[in-house]
Amino acid sequence: MLNPGDKAPDFAGRDHEGNAVKLADFKGKTVVLWFYPKADTPG
Amino acid sequence: MILGVSFDTPAENKKFAEKFSFNFPLLCDTDRTIGTAYGANADPGKGAARVGVIIDPQGRIKEWHGRVDARAWPAAVVASL
Repeated sequence: MLNPGDKAPDFAGRDHEGNAVKLADFKGKTVVLWFYPKADTPG
Repeated sequence: MILGVSFDTPAENKKFAEKFSFNFPLLCDTDRTIGTAYGANADPGKGAARVGVIIDPQGRIKEWHGRVDARAWPAAVVASL
């Protein structure tokens, strides 16, 4: 787990449209990461 | 800015995004790199844990939650920004 004040780990990947996305793209903005177990499962 | 993250393929996430008309990107972390870095890969045999993270504009962790409500949390956070 991570604690408040820790440096957010850098990441880079692709979204569902194939666009490249990386944390550095959002410098200066608040970023919310929402992890979910499997596309389209309830709960 | 909200980013959804799961270990699903782009095709699976595209269906998910279209079904619910999400207007934010769904990252396809198929090799679980992001999930591992953020503590969401609790069980390698299963999908991502329902971790919620808020990163401040300076790139530091503002909040880390080990289990968030799937529907209510993203909306509540976006409303608070």
